[in-house]
Parts: sequence; C-alpha cells; structure tokens
Amino acid sequence: MTKTWQKIFGLSFLLLFTNTACTSDTEESALNEPPPIVAEPPAAEPYVPAPEEAKPVQVTQKTRDTYQWYCSQCHGVEGKGDGMNALHLAVPPRNHTKADYLGTRTNQHLFDAIKLGGLAVGRAPCMPAWGNTLADEEITGLVNYIRELCQCEGA
Amino acid sequence: MILLRALVALAILWTTNAHADINLLKENKCDQCHRVSISDDEKNEAPDLFYAGEKFQESWLREFLTNPNNIRPNGYSGRNDFPKAIEPKAHPALNAKVADAVANVLLTLKLQPAGKSIEFGEPLTRGKKVRAKILFERNFSCSACHKGINLARKPHGGVSGPSLFNAGNRLQQQWIFDWLKSPEKYRKKGRMPRFQLDDETAIKLVKYIMTLKKENMK
Ligand code: HEC
Ligand code: HEC
Repeated sequence: MTKTWQKIFGLSFLLLFTNTACTSDTEESALNEPPPIVAEPPAAEPYVPAPEEAKPVQVTQKTRDTYQWYCSQCHGVEGKGDGMNALHLAVPPRNHTKADYLGTRTNQHLFDAIKLGGLAVGRAPCMPAWGNTLADEEITGLVNYIRELCQCEGA
Repeated sequence: MILLRALVALAILWTTNAHADINLLKENKCDQCHRVSISDDEKNEAPDLFYAGEKFQESWLREFLTNPNNIRPNGYSGRNDFPKAIEPKAHPALNAKVADAVANVLLTLKLQPAGKSIEFGEPLTRGKKVRAKILFERNFSCSACHKGINLARKPHGGVSGPSLFNAGNRLQQQWIFDWLKSPEKYRKKGRMPRFQLDDETAIKLVKYIMTLKKENMK
C-alpha cells in the first residue's frame, strides 16, 4: 500500500469510529452533541518527559500492578490488546507490544488518552478516562510502561 | 416512662434480632464466600452482601436465591487473579423456605449513614433514552466493560464488569446512584474507573440503566 492510501484508509477509519459508540449502534441524530467534560483538562500539570539521559526509564512494580489491575481488562495481561473485553468491542483495544502505531504517538498523546479517555483525543470511545482514578504520576508511569512494552520511543 | 421502657425493650429486641439474622447467613455458609458484615475481613471470591438491602430489588433477590443465574461471566472482578477468566461455578441454590428467610435478612442489610436521597422522577422518554444511551456507550465508555442492550435488542458489551442487561430488574436506582458517586463507600478498591459525575448526569445514567430489562430483549 502506498503512503497516501494508508493515510486515506487511516483517516476514514478514524472518522468511522470516532463518530460511533463504543460497542454498538447509537442512533445518529443525537450523536452531534459535544461530549461532556469527563475529567479536568491536563493543562495544569503537563506531562513531563523523563530527561534524555535517564533512559531506559525504570518501570516500578507499582506501575506494573496498576496496569494489571485496571488496563488488563481490555489490553490483556501482556498488553497484547487481547483482554477479556476485547472481543466485545467495536474497536479492538490497542496492542501495546506493537511499535508501528505507538511509535507515531507522542508521550503527551498517550498521557492524554489515558487521563481523558479515547473520545477526548479523537480515538475510540471504548477507552474510558482514568483521570479521576489515577494520579498524574501513575499515568506517567503507565506511559513509560507502554514504551517498555512496545520497545519504541515517543514521536 | 412506660413508653421509654417499651422503646428500650424494642431496641434490645432489634439488636439481638440483627445478630440472629447474620447468623442465619452464616448457618447457610454464605460467609464462606461473601462478606455479610462490614466488619468481616475482605473477601475476594464473591461480591459483598453487607449492603444487599440497598442494592437489590426484592423480587429479583428472592428469585436469585432459589434459581440463581450468572451475572459475571468471567467470575467476580475482586479476585486477585481476575484478568484471567474463569469458568464460574453455578451458585448454590436454596429451597423456597430457606430462601425466603435468607432474603428477609439480606433486605435489612444497609450501610449507615445512607447517602442523600434522590428524586428520580418518571422513567426516561424514548428521546431521552437515546441520549442517555450515548452517555453509556460513548461518552463514559460504560459498555466497554458492561453488557447492556443494543438496538437489535441483544445483550452487548464488555464482560469485565457485572452484566447490566437486566439491571433494571435487579438493582435499586438509589444504590446505582450512590455507587456511581462514591464506590469507595462500598469497597476500598475496584477495577471500575471513577467518574466525577454531576448529579444530573448520574441521574441520566441511572435512569438509562433502569431501562435495561431482560423482557426488553429478543
Ligand atoms: C462458593 C461460594 C459462594 C457461596 C457459598 C455463596 N455465594 Fe453467593 N455468590 C458467589 C459468587 C461467586 C457470586 C457472583 C455470581 C455472579 O456474578 O454470577 C455470588 C453472587 C451472589 C448474589 C448476587 C450478588 C451480586 O452483587 O450480584 C447474592 C445475592 C448471593 N450470592 C447470595 C448468597 C447467599 C445468601 C448465600 C448463602 C446462602 C451465598 N450467596 C453463598 C459465591 C458464593
Ligand atoms: C474499565 C471497565 C469499566 C468501565 C469503563 C465501567 N465499569 Fe462499571 N464496573 C466495572 C467493574 C469491574 C465493576 C465491579 C466492581 C469493581 O471492581 O469496581 C463495576 C461495577 C459497576 C456497577 C455495579 C454492578 C453490580 O451489580 O455490582 C454498576 C452499576 C456500574 N459498574 C456502572 C457503570 C457505569 C454507569 C459506567 C459508565 C459511567 C461504568 N460502570 C464503567 C468495570 C467498569
């Protein structure tokens, strides 16, 4: 596939999915409302990337446990996108061991997706907002863990 | 004076009864898997019952105890090994007489103090239901983890949280509201994300969940 085709394909995918519900078939007419604010925007406490020389970032056991406790429901215990909810969702959960997509994302994007949810960053509405459940440091830890899983760096 | 004595007597009767009540649950081994009192040690194999009187609708509870059905297709999410799906065993069933007595006890179990009482008003109209469904399936991603009912009137959604496709017959709306507002009142740490919902949004979600009933399915 050429680059342009990839782009068109990706874009139509995005349009298709960001406009539908997470699992089924919500009626079109009512879809055009702005989403309610699910969590505070992250502006106050922006993602602070680890300093360059600190690499590779140490992922703590606590972060791994947090991933197992919450994220594995959809992303699977090994982060392969095959959690127990995966088969039931309109958009499959992200496979965190694959670098092809994650390598094109900034750490800030991943942080926002976790904190504010998929819808808020133009991705699938299946991904809930964790900003009221996890502290910013915990979310930063998860971003680092995803980088370990994908063996890739932020764009 | 007589009145006071009568009150004291009544109070004593009530407290002793409450103890006898919990004992009935213990006699029937419910406490092997469930917490039946808030002071019990944390148990991870089955959902807590110490607030059953505010959580369940009476008719659903009575039916469940004699004729249990599965609610959590991969087992209870409090299990430490939870993301590993298990094939849940059938729930022990009680005979009608015991079930009746056990239900009477469960229906008295409530958290103190109760949360602020909400006026829910009329059930959702069709138009409002469509909007509330969007909150459930899209804005708050509830259906990523919970089975509801889709437009084809089939159960649809994730399986890590308890199924909600019959929640309108199963749960009390005030309890759902309290759960959404402050889940930590019921359990220290769950796997469901917390949502800072204003009352109005929480009420919409609750009223939507109350429309989910198995008789509305195909
Ligand atoms: C062997 C363990 C075990 C025993 C003993 C047991 N239960 Fe359960 N119970 C469970 C599990 C596991 C579930 C969750 C089932 C599901 O979600 O499908 C459950 C679910 C329930 C529910 C529904 C709770 C909810 O939040 O959905 C009620 C009510 C209940 N049990 C009552 C009782 C009573 C009353 C007794 C004693 C007579 C009892 N159970 C004995 C394991 C047990
Ligand atoms: C990431 C998965 C996930 C998402 C998203 C989620 N839940 Fe849950 N929910 C759970 C789990 C798991 C439980 C069981 C208790 C726990 O572990 O917190 C639960 C429990 C519940 C219960 C209590 C059910 C019972 O019978 O005990 C209700 C009601 C509920 N959720 C409603 C919602 C609503 C409404 C939303 C959206 C605003 C939502 N949930 C979003 C996972 C989720």
